[in-house]
Amino acid sequence: MKFAHLADVHLGGWREPKLRELNTRSFCAAIERCISESVDFVLIAGDLFNTSSPSFDALKTGFQKLRELRDAHIPVYLIPGSHDFSPSGKTMIDILEEAGLAVNVAKGDVVDGKLKLRFTVDAKTGCKITGMFGRKGGLEKHYYYELIKDHLEAEPGTKIFMFHSPIAELKPAELAGMDAMPISLLPQGFDYYAGGHVHVVQHEQLKEYPNVVYPGPLFPNNFSELEKLECGSFVLWDNGKITHERVRLAPIVKVHVAAQNKSAADVNAALDKHAGSNGVQNAIVLLRVEGLLSQGKPSDINFTAFAETCTSRGAHLVLRNTNKLESKELEEIKVNTASVEDIEETLIKEHAGQLKILPAEQEIALAKELMRVLSAEKDEGERVADFEKRISQDVNKLLGL
Amino acid sequence: MEFFVTKGLIVSGEFGNILVREKQGKTLELGELLIADTPQGKILLQVFDLVYGSQLAQQQLELLSGLKLEENVGLQFFDEAMRNYILARVKNLVTINDGKSRVAKTLPQCFAEIRDVAASDVQFLSEKKSAPLFVGNLRSGSKVIDVPIYLDGRLALSHHLLIVGTTGRGKSVLMHTLLWHTLAEDYCGLLVLDPHDEYYGRTGNGLKDHPAARERVAYYTPKQPPAGAHTLKINIEQLMPGHFLGVVDWSPPQRQALHAYHQRYEARWIDAALRGEPIDGGFKEDTLGVVKRQLMHTLSVSVDNAGLHCHGIFDTQAGQSTIEDMLRALESAKTVIIDTSEFSGAQEILMGSIIATEILERRKRGHTDVKQAPVVSIVLEEAPRVLGKEILERGPNIFATIAREGRKFKVGLTAITQLPSLIPRDILANMNTKIILGVELKPERQAIIESAAQDLSADERTISALDKGEAIITSNFLPFATPVKIPAFEETVKAFTKPARSFAGISP
Repeated sequence: MKFAHLADVHLGGWREPKLRELNTRSFCAAIERCISESVDFVLIAGDLFNTSSPSFDALKTGFQKLRELRDAHIPVYLIPGSHDFSPSGKTMIDILEEAGLAVNVAKGDVVDGKLKLRFTVDAKTGCKITGMFGRKGGLEKHYYYELIKDHLEAEPGTKIFMFHSPIAELKPAELAGMDAMPISLLPQGFDYYAGGHVHVVQHEQLKEYPNVVYPGPLFPNNFSELEKLECGSFVLWDNGKITHERVRLAPIVKVHVAAQNKSAADVNAALDKHAGSNGVQNAIVLLRVEGLLSQGKPSDINFTAFAETCTSRGAHLVLRNTNKLESKELEEIKVNTASVEDIEETLIKEHAGQLKILPAEQEIALAKELMRVLSAEKDEGERVADFEKRISQDVNKLLGL
Repeated sequence: MEFFVTKGLIVSGEFGNILVREKQGKTLELGELLIADTPQGKILLQVFDLVYGSQLAQQQLELLSGLKLEENVGLQFFDEAMRNYILARVKNLVTINDGKSRVAKTLPQCFAEIRDVAASDVQFLSEKKSAPLFVGNLRSGSKVIDVPIYLDGRLALSHHLLIVGTTGRGKSVLMHTLLWHTLAEDYCGLLVLDPHDEYYGRTGNGLKDHPAARERVAYYTPKQPPAGAHTLKINIEQLMPGHFLGVVDWSPPQRQALHAYHQRYEARWIDAALRGEPIDGGFKEDTLGVVKRQLMHTLSVSVDNAGLHCHGIFDTQAGQSTIEDMLRALESAKTVIIDTSEFSGAQEILMGSIIATEILERRKRGHTDVKQAPVVSIVLEEAPRVLGKEILERGPNIFATIAREGRKFKVGLTAITQLPSLIPRDILANMNTKIILGVELKPERQAIIESAAQDLSADERTISALDKGEAIITSNFLPFATPVKIPAFEETVKAFTKPARSFAGISP
């Protein structure tokens, strides 16, 4: 049996057009590799799309590549992730399934208030696949608590469990702040646990849980991930042998300038030196400048000149990160922008507890869900009245009205 | 309108020791609460002793009993109720005026009638605080009054809580009850080192049954974890030399060697110490050998040419975020339970020491905004193991530090013991709330009475007579030493209903 395990594709992610294109190309390259490797099936462990109502371009790419897989007789098994899940069930994942391009394996029945998942059996290999989607704020954890596991664990044959959640026991130290669920919530004794959501490349073998695998995102999702991972990746399972396949589209050149106790002029000189060096041809140049300037302001640093020089020398793209660049003149302005989600999370937590109608944890989760529902955009061709009605229904459903 | 039955009449006595004649047919109990209605307000009284009273002289009483015993002569008294009776010694607790209590400073009138206390008399006790810590229902003798008693949890937990009681008197039920009710609150995070693996409820009722357990309880166990529990693994690179203070009886050179290893090798200092890698400072080989053996023993780690082999919860690979996860859970007002039932004593203390040290240090260094932060309380069973006089004479540890200065940083101890006399007086005095269950040994009662927030000098007999689940709370944050009855934990669990769950998004 040979299969590919992808996760966190985030089609439609990245606002920057070149990065969005690289993200799309990474997905295309991975699918093409799956076809050339003649895998028996492909797993996508959540977040194929960056939202539950993706853009036209993202949809076009998604449908096109999944159709190529279908034409090559390679079935796709997936679960929705925290980005492309919708409690209403009206997502593009369902349309993919309706179109016969993928199978959502998070299927089951509610039995006596408990959740009984069903297996989807791959016709060619007989492999039995089931799983649980991811939800924003880790809300899927409640589903796991109510999961009937006996029949899943007792099922004979080769089994795969797909999940889209961080596991506490596997979290690396740098992700300590991330909410995670204990591995004891997963059913035991599956041959392979196909994870998603955590953007790390990881393969762990735990007692009762052999082969818990996070393939990493198919393309890095932010500046820090580009620095750390440099490229996207997925996993190939070939009769028990696991390999991490990297999808390299452009070389990464990292430029780090320590600005601590330096003047803006010193930093400009350092940037000139780096911009003039070789090796940026077709590369994504990641410029990180950090530290407290002894003289001058960040605006005195000529980032434009650096970018122009790099571009003129053939760089594909120049990205800069100055989150930790501070000036004595502007010391009071500190914007810690790790990611949009982090900022949202921080702000919600800061303001939680003011209503006193729900426990803080539930209030935070509700706030996140409300933000998600209320940020939905009008679909193409959807009438304003229908759009308003849809939003109103989603909000009512969320609030239990 | 409430109807009150007179239970007795004040006869004589003095402030704090008033003599009451019991009305025939009524029964006064040790610890019973009574009310004397006076023009100044209601005076709340409590029985602390019971004696016989008679209009007959002692010699006559002895003669009459002899006649009954030896001659089988019937004992018939004319107007018996007038001649033989019970006298109760009672003390004034507080005066209640307009529903508010103040310190009692007056005596009720002589011959004033006394009656049972009613829930309406003591409503001021059941006022729910902004940070409520439920400890039980008001008790009058052995009768339970429908008045829930709440402490101000922020104050009580940060100013340390001591739970004292002989085995079988209800310490465990009380702790279950306290933990259960704090799960619904967001003012405190509790770290529970659980040597009997009883609080989570792996096999029976426990905190896992609380409706908020999924969000508010993090349970770590080295054994096969039930669904929802975390496998306990701590990465040895997360450990610091300071975590081992008070865990092992280090000599000064050994302690210096720990720090020397850390200074040179930083995160991998334990690895270096166990492999016998060189350090500066001219330490003797013997010293380094002892350090290595003690670390190996405490961490259940062995070493050979292939490297370190981990046999317990301390690991070279897994558990990189465990300490941070626990700290974040506590700072988010969650309850962290660590199953230490398979730990050695040293490992259990090390586990507590790691978390306690990190919580206190972060708050001291200003990493946590103490004003906004929840109170963190560390629950220690068999507290003299870390707070005992003998232990502390060998050297300080983090728990003694917290007992003395933790309150400034909203870090407190919840110490459980049946032997409070082993804890130094200054630490006992720092524990401003004490929940006293039945204590049979006189030296232990004395230790607790001498360090109580209220004068319990007259209550020794009452304390020894406390039945299972009956307790007296003495606290700087209560107007008087309050008798309570702790409800059976099974009833507490039954009273809560689990919310129905929806499974939106699951495809049929």
